[in-house]
Order: sequence, then C-alpha cells, then structure tokens
Amino acid sequence: MKTSSVTLLTKHVLTERVMDGLESVHALAASPGFSQDGVCCAAGTGGLYLSCDGGRSWQDACASLALASPLVTTAVVFSPDFAHDRTLFASVPGGVLRSHDAGTTWHVAPLSSPPPFVTALAVSPNYAKDGLIFAATLEDGILRSCDRGATWAAWNFGLLDFHVYALALSPNFAHDDTLYVGCESGIFRSSSSGRGWQETAFPMDCAPVLSLALSPDFTTDGVIFAGTEASGLWISSDRGVTWRAVSGWETPGPINALILPPTFAQQPWILAVTDTALCLSRDGGMSWQVQHSIKLTGITCAAALSIDQPNIQVILGTSDGGVLLCKL
Amino acid sequence: MAGADILINAIRPTLGPVPRIVAIDRTLDHCSPELLDSGGTIAKRVIQLPDYRADMGAMFVRDMFWRLQDQEGDGTATAAVIFQATFNEGVRMITAGLNARRLQGFLEEGIQVVIEELRRQTQPATTSSQLVQVAYTVCQDRELSELLGEIFSIIGSYGRLEVREDAGRGLRHEYVEGTYWERGLISQHMVADVKRMRSEMEDAAIVFSDLRIRHPQDILPVLIAAVKANYRRLLLIADELSDSAISLLLANNKPAHMQILAVKTPGYGPEQQAAFLEDGTILCGGRAFVRSAGDTFASIRKEDFGHARRVWADLHNFGVIGGKGDARWRRRHVATLRALHTETGDLVLRDKLQDRIGRLLGGSATLRVGGASTPEIKARKELAERAVKAVRGALQEGILPGGGVALLGCRPALQARLDAACIPEERAAYRILLNAVTEPFRTIVANAGYSPSAILVALDYAGPGHIFDALSGNIVPMETAAIYDPANIVKAAAYAGLSSAALALTIDVLVHRTEQPSHALPPSPGRRKQL
Repeated sequence: MKTSSVTLLTKHVLTERVMDGLESVHALAASPGFSQDGVCCAAGTGGLYLSCDGGRSWQDACASLALASPLVTTAVVFSPDFAHDRTLFASVPGGVLRSHDAGTTWHVAPLSSPPPFVTALAVSPNYAKDGLIFAATLEDGILRSCDRGATWAAWNFGLLDFHVYALALSPNFAHDDTLYVGCESGIFRSSSSGRGWQETAFPMDCAPVLSLALSPDFTTDGVIFAGTEASGLWISSDRGVTWRAVSGWETPGPINALILPPTFAQQPWILAVTDTALCLSRDGGMSWQVQHSIKLTGITCAAALSIDQPNIQVILGTSDGGVLLCKL
Repeated sequence: MAGADILINAIRPTLGPVPRIVAIDRTLDHCSPELLDSGGTIAKRVIQLPDYRADMGAMFVRDMFWRLQDQEGDGTATAAVIFQATFNEGVRMITAGLNARRLQGFLEEGIQVVIEELRRQTQPATTSSQLVQVAYTVCQDRELSELLGEIFSIIGSYGRLEVREDAGRGLRHEYVEGTYWERGLISQHMVADVKRMRSEMEDAAIVFSDLRIRHPQDILPVLIAAVKANYRRLLLIADELSDSAISLLLANNKPAHMQILAVKTPGYGPEQQAAFLEDGTILCGGRAFVRSAGDTFASIRKEDFGHARRVWADLHNFGVIGGKGDARWRRRHVATLRALHTETGDLVLRDKLQDRIGRLLGGSATLRVGGASTPEIKARKELAERAVKAVRGALQEGILPGGGVALLGCRPALQARLDAACIPEERAAYRILLNAVTEPFRTIVANAGYSPSAILVALDYAGPGHIFDALSGNIVPMETAAIYDPANIVKAAAYAGLSSAALALTIDVLVHRTEQPSHALPPSPGRRKQL
C-alpha cells in the first residue's frame, strides 16, 4: 500500500492525504474509542485497510486471508463495544466478514444468492445484549442478523423500495427498536427492530436519500437529518412524520455523509460532506460555512474521528482511492 | 320485538371480559351442546323462532349482527344491547304520543354525534402491547393475542396473514419473504429440485400475460427475444398453454443455457387476472400482454420483460422476491389501493384490495393453529381469524378505551345537545341515546357480577381517564389498565345498533306469508293467519 503525506495547511483546515491505492473508497469507520486507540478502517475496491495510529499508517486488514487479489469491500463498521470485544464487520461480495480480534482473523457469513451489494452496515447500540447487525443493500432491501453476524436474513415487510443507500439506528434502539433507511424513493422507518417497515412522508420527488443522521438526543427531540442526491438537506423534528428542507442549505451536489457530535443538544453542530465540499453548521442547520479553503473532489464517504469543539477531525474517502485526514 | 329480545338476551351474557357461556343444542346430530361466547356466532346459530311474529323481529336483528360479525369480526354483543336499549325506550316514547318518523330523524342526527365523539377519542395503536390487548379483547386467549401482537407489529395493518389449521397441538408462525400467488408450475417436468418439488431461479426475466397459447409458434417470439437479450432464466405467465406449447418450453428448458418455468395466470376471471397483471408489472416492471386488448407475443421486446432477484415455483404456488419494478410506481400504486380500500364500503372489494396490498408489501406471515381435536382446532382458528380482523381494524382505524368507557365518553356531547333541544322528539332522541351509550358499560359490569349503577357512579367520581377493570373489579387509570377496543368495531357496533333501532321504531306493519314452508317448526296458534 502506497502511503503519501501531502499536507495542505490553510487558515482553517489541515488536510492530509494519508493513503492511496484503494481504487475507490466505499466506506470509512472509526472505532468508538478512537481518541484512545486510534483505530480506523477504510473499505474500497482495493480491499479493507486498518490503521491503529489515527490514520497515519495503514495495513491490509485481510492479510490473514492470503488472497490472490484484493477483496472488494463495500462497507465496514465497528462494534459499539470495540474496546472490549475487538469486533468489526465488513461486507464483501456474497458475504459479511466478521472479526473478533480487531481484524487479525476473519470469519465469513454468506449472504443469500444472488449476492447482494451491501451499501451500509450498522450495529445495534445494544449489541452486547441483542447481537443485532443490519446491512443495507442496493437491490435486496435490508438484511438482518440477530446472532452477531453468523447468519443473515432479509426482513423487508413494508419496505417498498429495495434500493437502500443509508441506514441509521436510534441511539435509544435498546428501548424503541427504531431505525431508518434512506432509499431511492424516500425514507422508511422501522419500529420493530428492523423486521417491519413503514413509509415516512419524505417527498418522493426529493429522493434518493444518500445519508441519514439521528440526533444523539433523538428520544427527546426526535430530530433526523437526511442528505439527498440533488435536493439538499432535509430535517424532521417529529421522528420522521413530517419533513422540511433545511432553508440555510445552498451547496449543490449529493450529500454523502452527515455527522452530528454526541453533544448535539448543547452544541448543535452538523458536518455535511458533499462530493466536493465540507460544510459546517454551528446552529443546527440554520446557517452553513463551506470550507472553501481546501479543494476536494470525488468525496464518497466520511467518518468522524473526533468532533468535540474546538477539535473537529474527520477522514474522507475519495473516488480515486484516497483517504484524507482533515482537521477543521 | 319479542323475537329481537329473545335473541339479544341470548347474546347479552357474552359481552365483556368475563363472559357467560351460551349453550346451543345441536339440531343435526346428537352431540353435546355447542358452547359459545361469541354474539355473532350465537346469532348465526338461531335459524328460526317458533312464533312467526317473534321470528320476524329476531331475523331483523340477526341480519344486522351477522353483517357486523362478517364486516368487523366482533361487536355484535355491543350492538345488541345498544339496539335493545334504544328500541325499548323508543317504543315507550312513541306509545306516549311522539311521532316515530320525527324521532327517527333526530336519532339519526344523534348517531352522528356519537360517531364524532368516538372519532375524537380515537388514538392510533402504536405499540405491540396495545395490539396484544386488542386481540385479547376479542379472543380471550393470551398466547394467541401475544403472537398476533408480534406478527402485526411486523407486517403492519395491510400485511398478509394467513391462518391455517395445523396438525400440531399449539400455535406456530412463520414469515415468508417476497410475494407469492396460488398457481403452480404448468408441468411437473419443470421441477428442478425433485426432492423439494420446487424450482428456483436467480435474476429471472418474467413475461406477464393472460394469453391462451394454442400453438408453439405463439411463444416462439418470447424465446427469441429472451435469447437476444441474453436472459438465461425465464418465467412465463399465461392463462393457458397447449400441450405442444409446453413441449416447446420443455425442449428449450436446459438449465445450462436457459431455464424456463411456466405458470398459469393467477386469479379467476378477467377482473382478478387484470388486477394480478397490474400488480405484477408494477412489482417487477415490464408490460402485461392482455388477451382482451388483442395483444400477442409477436411484438415482444426486451423492455417488455419484468425482472426479479429471485423467482420460485412449485406445483401449487409461485413467488417473486425482489421485483425490479420502479419503487416510486410501486409506492404510488399501493397508496392508490389503500385509498380505495379506505373509501369503499363493499366488503368483497375491501377484501380483494386488502389482499392485493398485502402482496405488494413484499412478505407474508402464516399462523398455524393446532389443537387436541378437530373441533378445538376449528374453533381456535375461527377465533384467530376474528382476532386478526380486530387487530387489523385497530391498526387501520385506531383504538378506543375499552370496557364501554368510550361510549360513556359520548355523554357530555349528547347532554349538551339535550340541553339545547326544544322539540319533544329531539329531547326524547337525546334521552334515548344517553341511555343507550351507557348500556354496554352496564352490561359488562353486570356480567362481571357487580352493580352497574354503583360502579357507574364511582367511575364518574374518579373522573375522565379512568376505566373499570372488570377482571379485578377496580376502577383504575386508563394508562395502567391498558384496556382497549378497536375503534372500527366500537363505531360499527354503535352505528349498527342505533341505526337499526331507529329504523325499527318506524315499522308499523308486519306482513308474513300465509303458507309456511313445509320444513317450518311446529306452528304456533294463529301462524297461518294473515295480518
């Protein structure tokens, strides 16, 4: 793996290209305890790579599989209890890999045939007890595993659109069993732990929905943000019952990722990542500041490393296989 | 009215969570009496009363109960006591000199007040525990209720649920992925997995039609178009295929090159088949070839094929998983069908629309009901079907406080109307209604062995938001008791009971036939006398 260190230092943003060669980056993920362990992952056409030093250096996470060619990896996610269980999941064509030793060894769980294209993985916040993992797919709706990733089954009751791009679980999932998916034609909600789905009133003409983010205080404020391909940013303040466009959003292009800080209720910061820009709002979406000081192209995904004021650090994946480390 | 009273008094003990059992003698054999606690079933079992005058009254209310049972699955006992209270009080008022027609008019106005008040109190059924409670209200079977609560929290209000008899002893349930129809493979030679008697295909192309294929050359264009488009797996749906056409398909069914399955078009008659073709093409894309439109396969193109991630078929059913139709069209189509389902009053059409929506939602559940004996299985299955109807209704139209409390909640609005009324018939109508809406509550309390008047006073004293729990005998806050009735059933029962009674009050003349059928029960004195 070629590792470069091109650093752009500007007034506001420090951007560093920390990895090349993934061909196209599909997903990024940081360990829940990133500030302590510095572990993050990058998944792409060129394979799955892991960094244990905050994104400075990267290793082939699938080296133990001794494959002749890189394994196309479309999504990756860490267990919420990664510090203790060292578990992470990654989707590959026809299956989901799971590792219980931070990527040293892997087990494969096959998915139904024909092989689905997994667009996103999400692990239940209550994973230690319920062992639930969800996979969003491009043509097969939602796959659900209730045995820690060992077996998977499709649960698509009421899901009228099987083209799923985004997946977001309620922070209070252990009690409300609620999750949302962003699809080609809008947003669906499940309040039965991902087994049955209902349409929300998100306007069909404004879909596809590429990214979703639930407020960390979702139980009380019911706030959901939805990033679309061509219709900007949308918000619901009533758990997805009604939706309105965020009036302050003016940046064109698809919103590929949305990041909210854990302290959103006190500090309503939102970081929205389009394919060419990083946009930051400090007032819950009323006004936005585009980080013009850096030139970005082909951003496909993003993950938060730390988003505590004043230190906001994210990694970005690009369509040309690069991983950028950004400090705002 | 004597006949209506006889029937209603037979049903009355079944109202509430502490119902009394009604034993009905079996007429066709010498078995033990049938033990029933369902008002609708009791009404259905009463075929004729010996007294011809009483029989007319009994049949009048029986028809209303039967219809209510078929439509909503429950609510007959509530309708029965409301009818009785309204009619008896109305007769008293008319005897006192009021005009029956004007009284009926004001009663009809008052019914709207009751329905509106019930609507105001309705809340959506959002949690699984509420659904469990609604099911329990109908079937009084904890295990069945909990299973239905779980199933409906997954499949939703329009989801497809089949209740089947099972050889086992208990209840079992399973979820089926995708959509399936009750039409099997046209030839058993198409079965690929002989062990399971089933064929499966991945990424299959589908041709939707209701054409009758008489000659092999009629389907030749389909095969040519599929080969040109490089479709290696094909499902052909047609209303009829001749032996020679099937032979052509079998000759070309070589899994290494092209796998072909053929099934008959689901549905009986052009209307049902047209509905299937519409739903199928929306689910999977492509175009429907319709016989009545003069379509043939001669002009078939690549774009006319539908597609699905997976297709399966056995000798009895075929199914589609992951149809590749346009999701937006599918959502709009489901919304249209839902709107039609809500608007229509035609029960047959409602059932058909329900079935179509359920299939389009992409999954179904099966509840298998077992038991120790065939009669037990049949009884439990019937109970399960009624509970399914009630839970579905609760999901679609919401829930109301149970135990007759929702109807009691209509009293303030009726009292206000009474206070404002000046015309004697109007005042009488609202007095009748005030009495009628308390009757279900009184009956439930009496059936549980308590004094209705004392409990009613205690409940009024406790204030709004309280309910009488007939099982424990206590007045408890609503949120603690969590006793609910499906709103559709309460509204339908109130409407049926009140409206039928209002109509019955205007009946002045009874006409019956002079010659009774030969199979009639022993005639009572004057049975052959013409009125």
